Amino acid sequence: MDAAVISIWVLRLIFLAMLYAFLWMVVRALVRDLRAAAREPTTELGRLVIVASPSGEPAAGAAFALDAITSLGRDVNNSIVLEDEFVSATHAALTYRGRAWYVEDLGSTNGTFVNGSQVDGLAPIAFGDEIQVGQVRLRLERARA
Amino acid sequence: MSAAPRVTGMRAVGQEPRRFRVAPQLRGRELGLLVIVGVALYVGSVSLGATQRFREQLLEGEPGKVDMTTPADAGLLLIYLGALFLVHAILVMAGRRTDQILLPTVGLLAGIGLLLMERLPQNLAGNLGGLAQTQLVWLLIGFGIIAALAVAVRNDVWLRRYKYTWAAVGVGLLLLVFLFGSETNGARLTLTLGPFSGQPSELLKVILVVFLAGYLSENRPLLVDESTRVGPIRLPPLPYLAPMVAMWAIALGIVVVQKDLGAALLFFAVFLLLLYVSTARISFVVLGLAAFVIGAGLLYFVFDHVRTRIDIWVDPFVDPQGAGFQIVQALHAFARGGLIGTGLGNGLPTIAGRPPIPALHTDFPLAALGEELGLVGILAILGLYLVLVQRGLRIASAAQDEFRAILAAGLSLVIGVQAFIIAAGNLKLIPLTGITLPFVSYGGSSLLANSVIVGLLIALSERAREPLPPPRRVGRLRGLFDRGAA
Repeated sequence: MDAAVISIWVLRLIFLAMLYAFLWMVVRALVRDLRAAAREPTTELGRLVIVASPSGEPAAGAAFALDAITSLGRDVNNSIVLEDEFVSATHAALTYRGRAWYVEDLGSTNGTFVNGSQVDGLAPIAFGDEIQVGQVRLRLERARA
Repeated sequence: MSAAPRVTGMRAVGQEPRRFRVAPQLRGRELGLLVIVGVALYVGSVSLGATQRFREQLLEGEPGKVDMTTPADAGLLLIYLGALFLVHAILVMAGRRTDQILLPTVGLLAGIGLLLMERLPQNLAGNLGGLAQTQLVWLLIGFGIIAALAVAVRNDVWLRRYKYTWAAVGVGLLLLVFLFGSETNGARLTLTLGPFSGQPSELLKVILVVFLAGYLSENRPLLVDESTRVGPIRLPPLPYLAPMVAMWAIALGIVVVQKDLGAALLFFAVFLLLLYVSTARISFVVLGLAAFVIGAGLLYFVFDHVRTRIDIWVDPFVDPQGAGFQIVQALHAFARGGLIGTGLGNGLPTIAGRPPIPALHTDFPLAALGEELGLVGILAILGLYLVLVQRGLRIASAAQDEFRAILAAGLSLVIGVQAFIIAAGNLKLIPLTGITLPFVSYGGSSLLANSVIVGLLIALSERAREPLPPPRRVGRLRGLFDRGAA
């Protein structure tokens, strides 16, 4: 075998090796990314973010991890207590049934609104929707992945 | 189009609007991967150049000393890598915290494609000075699209709000092709407008995903509702099945009128996958597969071109010089390649100045790469597509809302499914359907459409600190759910 043939052969192998070097680097990065995501425990089904809260309790920008049933209201026994004078003691409940979220008005005085339209009884909501309870506006978001 | 009014809610938290504040953000991982891509493509190009020079000397007679250091076409490689790093620089300057893996992966795939184009006879196609140069021009435009979308798309309202408009545009494109399309190789899929010609089905796949993401994210609660029962199968309310039936009909229509089996298969597969992604109902998939089997069976008996494809797939060696020629040649190419291939520039004997496999540069690049890079090389290339799909699904799982999640999943699955359809077709795993291998095949429409996909994916991957776009209306759905309220 002469030198030219051998060096061409070596070049070919280096090229293939480089392809796998790239894949190796990428897979390492992907695994690191997935590990980092797994380290943050996400048993939550969704998040509720306070968009606006005139009374300041809870403050706008606060986020709550949601369980399958979350109640909203002024009473201290609610999962999320909203200190707002237009919020009833037990105002509304967020439930996760099957594969979808629902909001239910629990007979509040001032009503519950989804994207500006009033809820009578039960209404399905999706991630990104905005819920208004009293003067408090909240947004349903996907759990952090 | 602007999300400006929605910013007010977030200002209360004390965040200033980020819209016009640009702080460069280093993208170390992307840079590192791009350096590997650069070295790999340089080595590949040198390997190709050395092989070509060596073969020339062999033809001339006594081989002397062969130059083992210069790449095959240094200018082309330099421009290509320059463009890749320029996109990286633009993304750094834009300062968004977006995905850093998509760009290098696409860069490597397209670079391998470019090496293949350099190596094929330059008169196969392309009117900008040969195959490779034309491909390079399209790639540069594609990188421009990726950079522009990755930097500029901050808001998806224009996508989700006008989903029916997008659907109408898609159907309009399809009709245009039905009416004015010209046939190439028996499939009517090229649309010529003056000096420009393109294949709208490539763009259509992006539009389809945008529409499906909008439709599925809005109607998901209804689709998982099971009010209709047919025997053991539980179905959503019948009116909401209509778009799915329409999709099935469109796929059939594409096959019948356009004779484009690949696009039809791609659309239908992506549609079923997205249905599953958004509802997690296996029954939809079973139903869709049943519809597919029925449709495919019908087509097999009614249409000749479908029957020939299936017959070739079952046994190409019945007519190795005629109908089965392409696939038989491809199988031989894979066989010649073996484990590590013959090396770039060393395979593919040409017959009268053309490679033996017809439409090699568009439909059979995998066969060419299989011969020159071998099984090892092909597995690496398929691995790169897997990386693209994984990144897309990861972006989907981290998305803030359903529209973005379904959109990201759909966009990456389009690339993945398309790569699978043509790769499996080349390998005679499934019947061959003419479709491009994303980023590797020669062809402007395909490169541009796939660049749009990657650009959107990078934009969607941003770690969110922005306000969400205006929520969708919910009023229309309320009536139906009042039933279940008690």
